[in-house]
Amino acid sequence: MLAYTLTRLVYLALVLAVMSVLVFLVTQAMPGDVASMIAGQFASKEVVDAIAVKLGLDQPLIVQYGRWAAGILRGDLGRSLVLEQPIAPILMEALGRSLVLAVVALAVVAVVGIALGVLAAVRRGKLTDQLVSGVSYLGIAVPDFFWAIVLVLVFGSYLKLLPTGGYAPIADGFLPWASHLVLPVVTLVLMLLARIARLTRSSMIDVLQTNYVKFARAKGMPESVVILRHALKNALLPTITVLAIDFGLILGGVVVIETIFSYPGMGRLLLFAIQRHDLPLIQATILIVSAAYCLANLTADLLYAFVNPKIRHGMRAS
Amino acid sequence: MMTAPQARPAASPAVAGASAPEPAPLLAPLPAPLLDVRGLTISYGNARGTLRAASDVGFAIRPGEVMGLVGESGSGKSTIAMAILDLLGGGGRVESGEILFDGTDLRKLPASERRALRGDRIAAVFQDPFTSLNPALTVGRQIAEPLIRHKGLSPRQAAVRVEELLAEVGIRDPRRVAAAYPHELSGGMQQRALIATALGCEPKLLILDEPTTALDVTVEARIIELLAKLCDSHKLSALFVSHNLGIVNRICQTVTVLYGGVVVETGATGRVLSRPAHPYSKGLVAALPRITADRRHRLPSIPGTVAKLSGPPAACVFAPRCPFADETCRSRPQAMLTDGDGDGVRCWKADALSGTPWPDEAAAPPRRPPTGTAAETRSAPLVEVDHLRKIYGASRSILPWLRRAGTVAVEDVSFTIGRGEVVGVVGESGSGKSTIGRALLALTEPSAGTVLFDGADLTQQVKRGDQTLRRRAQLVFQNSAASLNPRKTVGAAMDRPLVLAGREDAEERRRTVAGLLTRVGLPAAYADRYPHELSGGERQRVNIARALATDPDFVVCDEAVSALDVSVQANILNLLAELRDEMGLSYLFITHDIAVVSHIADRVLVVYGGTICEEGPIGRVLRPPYHPYTEALLSAVPRLAEDRKEAPRILLEDAAAAPGGRGCAFAARCPRKLGTVCDEQAPPVHETADGHRIACHIPLATLAERAAVFPELAGDAPH
Ligand SMILES: Nc1ncnc2c1ncn2[C@@H]1O[C@H](COP(=O)(O)OP(=O)(O)O)[C@@H](O)[C@H]1O
Ligand code: SF4
Ligand code: SF4
Ligand SMILES: [Mg+2]
Repeated sequence: MLAYTLTRLVYLALVLAVMSVLVFLVTQAMPGDVASMIAGQFASKEVVDAIAVKLGLDQPLIVQYGRWAAGILRGDLGRSLVLEQPIAPILMEALGRSLVLAVVALAVVAVVGIALGVLAAVRRGKLTDQLVSGVSYLGIAVPDFFWAIVLVLVFGSYLKLLPTGGYAPIADGFLPWASHLVLPVVTLVLMLLARIARLTRSSMIDVLQTNYVKFARAKGMPESVVILRHALKNALLPTITVLAIDFGLILGGVVVIETIFSYPGMGRLLLFAIQRHDLPLIQATILIVSAAYCLANLTADLLYAFVNPKIRHGMRAS
Repeated sequence: MMTAPQARPAASPAVAGASAPEPAPLLAPLPAPLLDVRGLTISYGNARGTLRAASDVGFAIRPGEVMGLVGESGSGKSTIAMAILDLLGGGGRVESGEILFDGTDLRKLPASERRALRGDRIAAVFQDPFTSLNPALTVGRQIAEPLIRHKGLSPRQAAVRVEELLAEVGIRDPRRVAAAYPHELSGGMQQRALIATALGCEPKLLILDEPTTALDVTVEARIIELLAKLCDSHKLSALFVSHNLGIVNRICQTVTVLYGGVVVETGATGRVLSRPAHPYSKGLVAALPRITADRRHRLPSIPGTVAKLSGPPAACVFAPRCPFADETCRSRPQAMLTDGDGDGVRCWKADALSGTPWPDEAAAPPRRPPTGTAAETRSAPLVEVDHLRKIYGASRSILPWLRRAGTVAVEDVSFTIGRGEVVGVVGESGSGKSTIGRALLALTEPSAGTVLFDGADLTQQVKRGDQTLRRRAQLVFQNSAASLNPRKTVGAAMDRPLVLAGREDAEERRRTVAGLLTRVGLPAAYADRYPHELSGGERQRVNIARALATDPDFVVCDEAVSALDVSVQANILNLLAELRDEMGLSYLFITHDIAVVSHIADRVLVVYGGTICEEGPIGRVLRPPYHPYTEALLSAVPRLAEDRKEAPRILLEDAAAAPGGRGCAFAARCPRKLGTVCDEQAPPVHETADGHRIACHIPLATLAERAAVFPELAGDAPH
């Protein structure tokens, strides 16, 4: 397990290094240059050049990249050109808000999706199963943004039960904070729930037919033990993988969702940075989102290895 | 070993619905049966109708008695076992009958009470140890579960008991095994752990459904020995489901023969196996390949497939396959005829047929004379394997902890196959048999060494994209169901190799397919069938026909008959022998069953841990001098009562570690190991005669001193 984790961490570092190069190069290729933006529209060429020299922008790309990367390793993400502030605190605040959204959504998807899947598998062919399958089908067939619009219209505009957008810091009280989370979270959950439920159902059905489940029954174990102890742990393996992919999807989907619900997270920040050509902010945001995505995948892989003794021990055996 | 008790109790006749047991002799008061099954009828219902998997089944098992339940696959054995456990799944329903356990009809109990009996009073062990243990839980935890549930032990008390149980089933370091996950144990160890689980609550009845079928013969021999010992010391009763008559002979006192869900014969094991009364039992016994049988004879087989009933039988169930059937048989169902000794047979002609054996195969073509002299065969071998070596999964990496040396599947193997020669390869699972076969067909690239086919390097040719030689070498393998695409008709599946071989005329291809099907003994109309419409034996015939499509010279049969019932196995073996005689085919015949190999092979390679430990003409390999591994393998072969001469059985330890290193591959398990020389030096190869070679540190003269495992063979001239 240790060797496995080490290996994965090495890979993670490699991936992030490559990502940082790509991000750096792509933003270099974008129109607009930092020095003239800082100097302002009416600055003379000399002033712009002076700023460029001061910032080191006249040096070769590789040196610039080295300085940027070294800064990141020290925790210094640079300064936003537009906001004229250090990027790190802004970014961390936005990241925190986005993560709350993503983690809450993922937790709901995992718990509700797995429960529905197990229920459908155990009652296979019965009414419960057909209901879950039917609703899942609807969930998969209907496009994501549709739910967002329906939810906003019904709960926000029509019933006026929930705020349709914005954000309240938790310092203002739990309820206002939570009420702003409900609609974006529900939208994200609806995007992903059906797939998890169906996947869990089908792997659970497979596992319930295995010999070890038959043997557990032959030992006189009650159904609840058979399902929860013997079947579920094995049935969850594929679900965990997909949940990890979903976490990535949520991080990506957050950009859209945050825009619809004007929620001030990473998605909004990235959009803002792109619209305003704030190159350092763009670089930092993309890099952090990528890192979060990779970490989510790593966590899922470790979790997968942890529940699957074959992998856990295979790593140390041979 | 157990033998049938001298005074056979007069068992209650297993007549359907028989209510009053026969009066027992006063001198020996009979214990009441522990399990008494009466008139049990079970159906599976699905969209296409109902299938009666058991019709009016009755039998009794007395305390301390082990009863064998035998029959071809699909005859309903597992269904009955599952019904007793109340674990019938998939639309199975008990229609009628009683299952009396200790005098109580289980069917009248509520589900919760039956569950409480399961794993406590009635315990079970199933066929496949590799899949019967939960991969996500430690072995110890799984053994402890019933102890905690039924006996109310605390987890800590249970852990102590688990170690005792593991020690009792012959596991040397119980603590380590209890803490292990199933995949860390060998198949034999896993099956021991399952047996320990079953014994935990000290049950009265064991339900054993083919408990050794998935294991290697040497492991099987030890597990059977263990089960027999445990049944004896714990006074356990058991229902032993098996299709292997040799094993039934070793462990069961009584046996019940099932056919098409109907009990056709029941009685003491010794009697049923040595003097079977029902024609079906006669067929099963006759079809068993025996090492001691005369190899020039074709194996008798039972043509046709198992009956599938949908309602009460209207005729003798076996009539469609019975060589003795007549009008009476076909017009009325048969009743169980019993005598006072607990023997019963469901055939009105049984008495008249008592001296008549199962008929020999009709019209056996003369067997081709044995392959020419050794020198002649060797002059122009078809296949030459030279220092073949194959390592799987070796990997290089810049990360030191990812570097793997890989697993050695084949460690330096050399041999030849002559034209028209059948070379058998025997050894346990994982010994590298299949890898050798795949390397011969260029399906896997050797890590070292060469394979010459008709003088040319097949691997190099295939690499260059030249398929001509490869068409001359084909493969037939074990799983006949998985090797055919379920969505393609038989004809379409056989058409493909022909198209690939460049045969353009569709009409001509169709005729070829029809010809091939006829050649393997199937109606040409089978070309339009789908694989699921065929029986296992028929599917294997289709696989053989498909392999023959490109008119090969050489066929690798990888466990080609292992998954089949003996009755069908005999049939396929005969077909393969016939094809060899008529078409001059050469085979590499891979199997774990040395009895099968002795029936078809001219020469045998005995492999262990990727090395050849003995090779030679079959007649020599079956007689001393033996390599210690061959000797153990031969002595593990289960045999019927009539063949049994009490030779001491050699029981091998469970494999502790994968073979490897510089010394003899067999050193870790060898009962005759000399000492460190075996661990450190590769054994020398002794050659006796006729190309008979043994690789062992023990001198040939010492090896030759051992008694023959099959003394009845001793007189025959080798070959
Ligand atoms: N779940 C099931 N649904 C329908 N038919 C079944 C099912 N299980 C077994 N059968 C059928 O019942 C018959 C007896 O099967 P089985 O009890 O498994 O026999 P055996 O153990 O002797 O091989 C076979 O014809 C088989 O195809
Ligand atoms: S009753 Fe007739 S068909 Fe049936 S087994 Fe006896 S002889 Fe054969
Ligand atoms: S060389 Fe040694 S270990 Fe190998 S078979 Fe011979 S006696 Fe046994
Ligand atoms: Mg079975």
